[in-house]
Amino acid sequence: MLVIIFRRLGQSVLVLFLVALISFLIFRYVGNPVDNLMGQEATLAQRAALEEALGLNDPFYKQYFGFVWNALNFDFGNSYRGALPVSDLIASRLPATIELALTSAIFALFFGVITGIYTAIRRGGYLANIILSTSLIGVSLPTFLIGVLLIWLFAVELKWLPSFGRGDVVQLGWWSTGFLTLSGIKSLILPSITLGLYQLTLIMRLTRSEMLEVMRQDYVRFAKALGLSSKQVNYKHALPNTLVPVVTIAGLQLGSIVAFAIVTETVFQWPGVGLLFINAVYFVDIPVMSAYLLLVGVLFVIINLFVDLLYLAIDPRLRDSNSSE
Amino acid sequence: MAENLLEVRNISVTFKTRYGILKALDNLSLNVKKGEILGLVGESGAGKSMTGAAILGLIDAPGQLSSGEIFYKDECISDAPEAVRGHEISMIFQDPLMSLNPLRKIGDQLVETILTHMNISKSEAIKKAKNGLKEVGIDPSRLNSYPHTFSGGMRQRVVIALALAPEPSLIIADEPTTALDVSVQAQILDLLKKLCKERGTSIILVTHDMGVIAETTDRVGVLYAGRLAEIGNTREVLTDPKHPYTKGLVESTPRIDSNSFQKTLFQIPGSMPKLDAMPSGCAFHPRCEFSSDICTKKIPPMLRNRSACWLLDDGEL
Amino acid sequence: MRRFLESDFLYDFLRAPVAIVSFCVVSILVLSAIFAQFIAPTNPFDPASLELMNGFTPPMEPNMYTGEVFLLGTDDQGRDLFSAILYGLRISLFVGLMAVSLAMTMGVILGLIAGYVGGWLDNLIMRLADIQMTFPSILIAMLIFGVARGLLPPELRYEMAITVLIISIGLSEWVPFARTVRGSTMVEKEKEYIAAAQLIGLKKWQIMIRHILPNVLGPVLVIATITFALAIIAEATLSFLGVGAPRTEPSLGTLIRVGQDFLFSGEWWILLFPALTLLALALAVNLLGDWLRDTLNPRLK
Repeated sequence: MLVIIFRRLGQSVLVLFLVALISFLIFRYVGNPVDNLMGQEATLAQRAALEEALGLNDPFYKQYFGFVWNALNFDFGNSYRGALPVSDLIASRLPATIELALTSAIFALFFGVITGIYTAIRRGGYLANIILSTSLIGVSLPTFLIGVLLIWLFAVELKWLPSFGRGDVVQLGWWSTGFLTLSGIKSLILPSITLGLYQLTLIMRLTRSEMLEVMRQDYVRFAKALGLSSKQVNYKHALPNTLVPVVTIAGLQLGSIVAFAIVTETVFQWPGVGLLFINAVYFVDIPVMSAYLLLVGVLFVIINLFVDLLYLAIDPRLRDSNSSE
Repeated sequence: MAENLLEVRNISVTFKTRYGILKALDNLSLNVKKGEILGLVGESGAGKSMTGAAILGLIDAPGQLSSGEIFYKDECISDAPEAVRGHEISMIFQDPLMSLNPLRKIGDQLVETILTHMNISKSEAIKKAKNGLKEVGIDPSRLNSYPHTFSGGMRQRVVIALALAPEPSLIIADEPTTALDVSVQAQILDLLKKLCKERGTSIILVTHDMGVIAETTDRVGVLYAGRLAEIGNTREVLTDPKHPYTKGLVESTPRIDSNSFQKTLFQIPGSMPKLDAMPSGCAFHPRCEFSSDICTKKIPPMLRNRSACWLLDDGEL
Repeated sequence: MRRFLESDFLYDFLRAPVAIVSFCVVSILVLSAIFAQFIAPTNPFDPASLELMNGFTPPMEPNMYTGEVFLLGTDDQGRDLFSAILYGLRISLFVGLMAVSLAMTMGVILGLIAGYVGGWLDNLIMRLADIQMTFPSILIAMLIFGVARGLLPPELRYEMAITVLIISIGLSEWVPFARTVRGSTMVEKEKEYIAAAQLIGLKKWQIMIRHILPNVLGPVLVIATITFALAIIAEATLSFLGVGAPRTEPSLGTLIRVGQDFLFSGEWWILLFPALTLLALALAVNLLGDWLRDTLNPRLK
């Protein structure tokens, strides 16, 4: 089993370096740093001097490792818009995104699994069918559309909830949280639902289909044939086997939450790193773009690794590199 | 108690499909006596597994038991099969790997089954579980192992142990050896026979393998296209088959005796009809060398308690 | 044709009200988009036809300055919303179609190569696929889009917007095609007719295209439908974010973005009508794709 863990770790490290490479390539070769920093009027001599100072003439590997080293020290250069250090920009906006992502994830996972189990066990029932039909809508609709429609309904027409921003936040050291104020929590509601709805329907349909599939398996029939009650069969035999793939895919979906946060943040003008990124793309602010990609890439690799390890822990079949047939 | 442990009376299992209503089992009746091994033999799709599923009420939708009744120990169980599952009638399936929950230790599965049916303490249940493993020839210390760590034959033994744990009077074994090597097959069949003798448990042994039937069963029923073609004492049926289909089956079984070397293997011409294209009258008549006019018109009933064939009809009907 | 009329497929279709309705909706939208020039009263992409004074007209009410009536109202720049929606649909469908074609071509080719040639090439392609799959396709599309924008000089950015959009969405969706085709190819590769073709001396690429390809196309069509739905949504999202179809040639996503700005000032129609159209399109295509996938899946039978 240790062999497997080390192999996975090794793969992850490799992918991390690849992500860093891509990020570096964007940072260095897309657009011209000198142009951006100096403008058009600089003389050739000034440009050459800046190039030397920025280390742009150094051999490739030196620049690459320099980039990685800087990244590990949280130095991502300065933004093209306003010359602020990118790391500061990201740090100030990270808490907003994380709080949003977390709330959405919990919302999606909790309700997704519950409705999934319910619609599987009560297959064909009235409520189950209603839930399923509405879920189809949740899967088909683009996130921004949901957000926009929610805003129109709850903020404009009903005027119950705010339509943009985070509300009042409380500063706890480096972190700013919206959990501790009423307006903060109110502001979290619509964005979390928007962000989490897609995940919720996905998790629900996955849980349901996995559970139905599992309930058709021989060992479930066998358990029934042995006289175990349906409660026992459903919860002790079917459910754990269902949760294994659900957990995996839900974990992988966590990554999507980060990606879709970009959209949600744009809809609600939520001051997180997603909004930061999209503005960077629009204004071609390379350092911010590449830093965001690097961070998100690292995040994904870690999530994937974590989920793989989790899988190992849950499913005993995967623990031996060969199991007897 | 009456002689018959289980009585299946005229059951039909139907499926509603776009092609109409299909009969997977058509007016099937059979009995199982206490302490006997009844074989159910037939080709794939003949309805053998369906019969086992019907007895325990495990037919998957859209199929259903549309007529007939099943009596167990003189009580009708067909409307409430859940009551007998486990401690009266048990079932084991073909693929031992799929029958065991891969995420749980076999000890847990055994203890759970025991505790479901018996009101005893957990430690007693564990003791019983260990004994159960011993009986089927598995080292009791393997209680804490996971299913995938066993070989195919051992897994099937575990499955048998599970099926025996609630101490049923009847076990339905659905192709228990089909997925196993021949040598392991023999071991499992011997195990089943031994258990039957020692405990007096009846067994319905479903298989497509005539060799297994010959070796293991006391009586045998031959299924064809959802109907019972012949039923009787195994030795009699195999040496003197009274239904042309059985005759064909027996003849087409490969043998390794000096007589049958060099001969080409006999095959019944044609194939079993699909459920949506059943011939009129006797289902076998298109392939039967003895068929006559009445065979194409009327479905033969079970005659002389032995065979559903018009050949046996000497003018009674 | 007769085979189709008698097929299980048509039978199931006619009995699934969901499929029929979605199909009709999709057809109406597609046809409207194709014939937009004839149906739309104005050409919303032609700046010369726009009258700023027409801006902010509510639906079906005469404009207070010019007196013109617009079916669904106008946006802030005086564009007739009905025409804008029709032309916007066109862009959405066009981008979706082209992106799927790109993804399919790329995915099928890579899948064939990976499956047939095997070896290190197969490994490489699959590793790439795995890596790309760890990230959501929207992110990849945004990444490619951002890079492309950075590489293009500012003058070209506007003109190439649609092309870049197509490329970025297409490149982010090739993996499912590749994986499926690779699997089928590996199965087909072992069959005798391939051995026969090899014996005749056909070159690898000939075998791949003429013999293997026709046999692995089945599941590809299902994936294509699903990917088409994804591409439409991706385009709408990117346009909404401001990195897709530009303001002057708006797709549905762009229109919604504009509409959101004017929600609070009361011009609700600028948001609502494009939003509802997109809703209908996305829902219909998804439902149809879902149904298609369920029907063509042999496992569920």
